[in-house]
Amino acid sequence: MKTVFGLAVLVGFGGTLAAAQFAPWLAHTRLPSQTTVVANGGRAEQFLIRLPADRIAATDAAAGGVRAVTGSGAMVLPAKFVAEPLLVEHFKVRDTGGNVVGVAARHWSASAAGATTTWSLLIPSRGAMILSAPGEQRGALEAALQAAARSPNRVSNGGTVVAMASADAGTVTAGTGEFAGLSGTYVENWTVAGVDDEGKLNATIELSTITRQPE
Amino acid sequence: MKYLIVLLLGLVVGSAAAGAVLYYNPFLVTADGVPNPSDRVLHYSLPDDVLAFSFGNDARYFGSDPGDDGLWEETIDRTAVLGLVLNDDDNQPAAVASRLMAVSPDSNLLMRGVVVSDYWLVTFPGQGTLFVRADTNAWRFLKEALLPVWFLDRPWNGPSEYWPTVGPGTDDNGVVVGLSGDFRGSEGSVVERYELTTLDPHRQSALAEGELRLNLDLSGPQVAVQP
Repeated sequence: MKTVFGLAVLVGFGGTLAAAQFAPWLAHTRLPSQTTVVANGGRAEQFLIRLPADRIAATDAAAGGVRAVTGSGAMVLPAKFVAEPLLVEHFKVRDTGGNVVGVAARHWSASAAGATTTWSLLIPSRGAMILSAPGEQRGALEAALQAAARSPNRVSNGGTVVAMASADAGTVTAGTGEFAGLSGTYVENWTVAGVDDEGKLNATIELSTITRQPE
Repeated sequence: MKYLIVLLLGLVVGSAAAGAVLYYNPFLVTADGVPNPSDRVLHYSLPDDVLAFSFGNDARYFGSDPGDDGLWEETIDRTAVLGLVLNDDDNQPAAVASRLMAVSPDSNLLMRGVVVSDYWLVTFPGQGTLFVRADTNAWRFLKEALLPVWFLDRPWNGPSEYWPTVGPGTDDNGVVVGLSGDFRGSEGSVVERYELTTLDPHRQSALAEGELRLNLDLSGPQVAVQP
């Protein structure tokens, strides 16, 4: 009897410590990565954001134009920043299969040296990737929507594509976890279908990355 | 039958002993940071400086409901997204930050504690944007404040000061990289400090004053590091 009790205590003690060490309940659920190998080396992976469903929050200042949010999901900036050329957006991120795999923050700001865009993409089960590029012109989406409204093909074209970052400008700047040590480029396109009656932007953001391990 | 009862009793006693060892685990005690006078200090108050906060079902610190707009998907339910205003020493808004947080794969309750991977984008309007990467150990806060006070209704011995940064840079500091504008190409280190000033589960009130202490070499190499 004493032996059984002693063994059970040891098993309970050791099992609990082992569970604490490996903590499997803290692991993030992972879906298969939708990556492809590109011809000249490296890997390509595209991330999608569908608006308005995937918008978590955005700042409310005028610089955001149709992307600024008022009411629910608005980040109300302090008065000092309201007139600044600054737009901060938070999104959920999907893979090409349409599954939500992560979250992202996008910061657009402008200074005397020009506008810049930075992305922080967090895929919890894999790591984070930081992207940066020269920023789009202020009001780029609004200008594209107005131009499309004047186009005779506006009904059949399925949306207006706005290039926010081209491959020769968008760079993968830093990474952690699975993305650590990778360098590469990215392209950011917004396919804008329009603005609904509630003022919400209907669009799909495509972030197409090509990364490789530096030799 | 008698053996089965003894077996179960032994398992319970063993697990309880291991739980006590984990709770008082000396390996999880981290040293408080030492302020560096040359740090650029950005201040925030919680919840006053919060612009937006979204979190998953399994990332609830204070038991609040993430709501229909929360991060409910299985792949991001241990994740949180925080929008924050950061203030200068005169308590004037200096920057806007987005803080993406997820439970780190380095977490374990035996040797490291509950580690959160923190990814900050910090934009100073008209100046540029920084990326901050930090590992934040939440164990001391969980053990000393949240579990006993918020969930077990024990008295709180606050205010309490925390220096939760435990890496991934040298000397348990976080890493900061300049991405654009005046900061482009710079690099440095970062630590976070916060003081929990109020914790009252009956009034559902938790207040804190925090600091992000940046030590940035603006004359650094024009190459971004891979933290």
